[in-house]
Amino acid sequence: MQKLKLKSTIGLVVLATVLSSGVEHVSAQPAIVAKFDPSSEMSISGIVTHVDWKNPRAHVFVNVTDGNAVTNWAVELESPVLLRGNGWGESSVKPGDRVEVKGLRARNGSRQIWSESMVLAGKPVFTLKDLKPAIPARSEPAPRGTDGKVILGSASGYWGFPSEHALVEDGVNVQMDRYGQLAEIADAAKVAPLQPWALALYTQRQQRSLQDDPMFINCKPPGGPRQYQSDLGIKFVEDKVNQRMFILMGSGNRNYRIVYMDGRDKVGSVTGDDDNPLYYGRSLGKWEGDTLVVVTTGFNEDFWMTNGGLPHTSKLELTERFTRPDMNTLQYQVAITDTGAYTRPWNASWSMQWVADQEVPIFFCQDNRP
Amino acid sequence: MKNSKVTVALLALAVAGAAAAQPAQNTLGSSSSTVAPQQQRQQAEAGPAPVNAAGRVVLQGADPSDKGTWTPVFGILDPITPYEEIPFQPWSKALYDYRQTRELEPHTRCKASGTARQFLTPYGVEFVELPELGQIIIFDIGGPHTFRIIYMDGREHPSDWQNTYYGHSVGRWEGNTLVVDSVGFTEQFWLDRRGMPHTDQLHTIEHFTRKDKNTIEYRITLDDPGAYTKTFDGGFNLRWNQGEELFEYVCQQANYAIELMVGGGASSVDRSSTIVP
Repeated sequence: MQKLKLKSTIGLVVLATVLSSGVEHVSAQPAIVAKFDPSSEMSISGIVTHVDWKNPRAHVFVNVTDGNAVTNWAVELESPVLLRGNGWGESSVKPGDRVEVKGLRARNGSRQIWSESMVLAGKPVFTLKDLKPAIPARSEPAPRGTDGKVILGSASGYWGFPSEHALVEDGVNVQMDRYGQLAEIADAAKVAPLQPWALALYTQRQQRSLQDDPMFINCKPPGGPRQYQSDLGIKFVEDKVNQRMFILMGSGNRNYRIVYMDGRDKVGSVTGDDDNPLYYGRSLGKWEGDTLVVVTTGFNEDFWMTNGGLPHTSKLELTERFTRPDMNTLQYQVAITDTGAYTRPWNASWSMQWVADQEVPIFFCQDNRP
Repeated sequence: MKNSKVTVALLALAVAGAAAAQPAQNTLGSSSSTVAPQQQRQQAEAGPAPVNAAGRVVLQGADPSDKGTWTPVFGILDPITPYEEIPFQPWSKALYDYRQTRELEPHTRCKASGTARQFLTPYGVEFVELPELGQIIIFDIGGPHTFRIIYMDGREHPSDWQNTYYGHSVGRWEGNTLVVDSVGFTEQFWLDRRGMPHTDQLHTIEHFTRKDKNTIEYRITLDDPGAYTKTFDGGFNLRWNQGEELFEYVCQQANYAIELMVGGGASSVDRSSTIVP
């Protein structure tokens, strides 16, 4: 039988706190409840064997001794991009450290536990519950260029930490976690004016705990409003010379999309894909005073346009309005028209925070661990 | 369809498929010598490289109406350096040879692939200069359809960089050549289409020289004491595709070998090595 030794008197005792319901953090990753069972709280203790500090989620591997048997468990944490923003580093926990972990067990019975935060003896508590930009917001007007126009992007900074992580029609109040998982599935009909088939599909996605999310299963892109509801955020890059606004994704597959500002027509105007339906659609934009107005059509149906899986069809048309009322706030409003899935047009709106002095996070869904 | 005609029909379909819109990218896929997706590429007009107001060559069009992208003039079976000149260490040579038979490179599984590999795609890239940001951003059309930032503001490589597919790049102009210095790569990709290995010690210096309107000469110096016995060079030319623009390509769209991309289930992911086989 193996004897377990305490590595040192300064050896860390690490406790993972129990997952709080409904407080989750969206990356390009599945809802926690899709993979882990919220009713299955359990504890393990043992010695750290390995720290896998990789996207999309970091893991700490722990050897657990039970009588004569030693089994290795995987403790799943958040993305290193988000952990680092909260003071976690690759060496916060090291092989040889003795740990105690409380968390949720994986639904498939494998030796995996979800842990959201850890308490280190004698050290501050790290928690992902209150993610916010590392540098506190400064109260300042929005920056403007020499032409007097508001600047939406800049060399160092990006937009993250949305005020809402799941899309709900303006004025509707339902309980939903940050992955878009409804607290009450019966509320599905309230979320948006869904046609009956779309409501049935949405309800089914919810009942299955969002495990069918194509962004989870095979890294399909966060098309539509979804790209603005990740903490990892987006960055605007305005190419004024060529009259294009690039939107760089912090989430998903680190894609970019282009908003054409040169007054071109919609159909068949981009060589290479003619009128193929796209994940990000085809976007035309213009400034109306200090508001960037972007109209997008030509979506395919091979992705979920929101966290939580509100359906859409290829008839989807989005009109998005972006304003920057002050340095730290991006106000986002979207008007959604889809005669194939909704009974009428509807709106949703939220805001994002400016993350100063940091580049948009480097995150690739396809780095991938399950 | 009559059986006797099936083989011919399938062959014809395969040939047509190579020229069709957005063929799946794989090591046996279309090379730069085949017809471009959906259309004949415009016959290149000869001419000098366009310059900016300061007289320095630019890697974009002469003006916003002069659109184009850059694709490699390269056979996909070619290494970027002749095989016999590559100063392999024994382990990296063994791995390279192994990769010739096991042609399962990360790029075809949608992993971003830095260094020379970024420029060896059928769909090409665009270089976008953003002087107000102090950056040049290289946009991929194919492969991961992502962006690579080259910092042109004189900064140094950061000490706390987390290794990633494209590394950290700083650049400057030396006359009409863009010189880019990069470190901080992960090992989760191949350096070129034939599978040259590397370690996270890799340090590259790239030279982009636009010789004329239609040609960029690309040279890359590879400095990786973990994988090679000395520093060496490789390269090829990029060709301007007049009139073409960036378009959407999502590698994950029809990538049906999900287990190769995402690791095949919780219990089967092997995290023991970062070197990609």
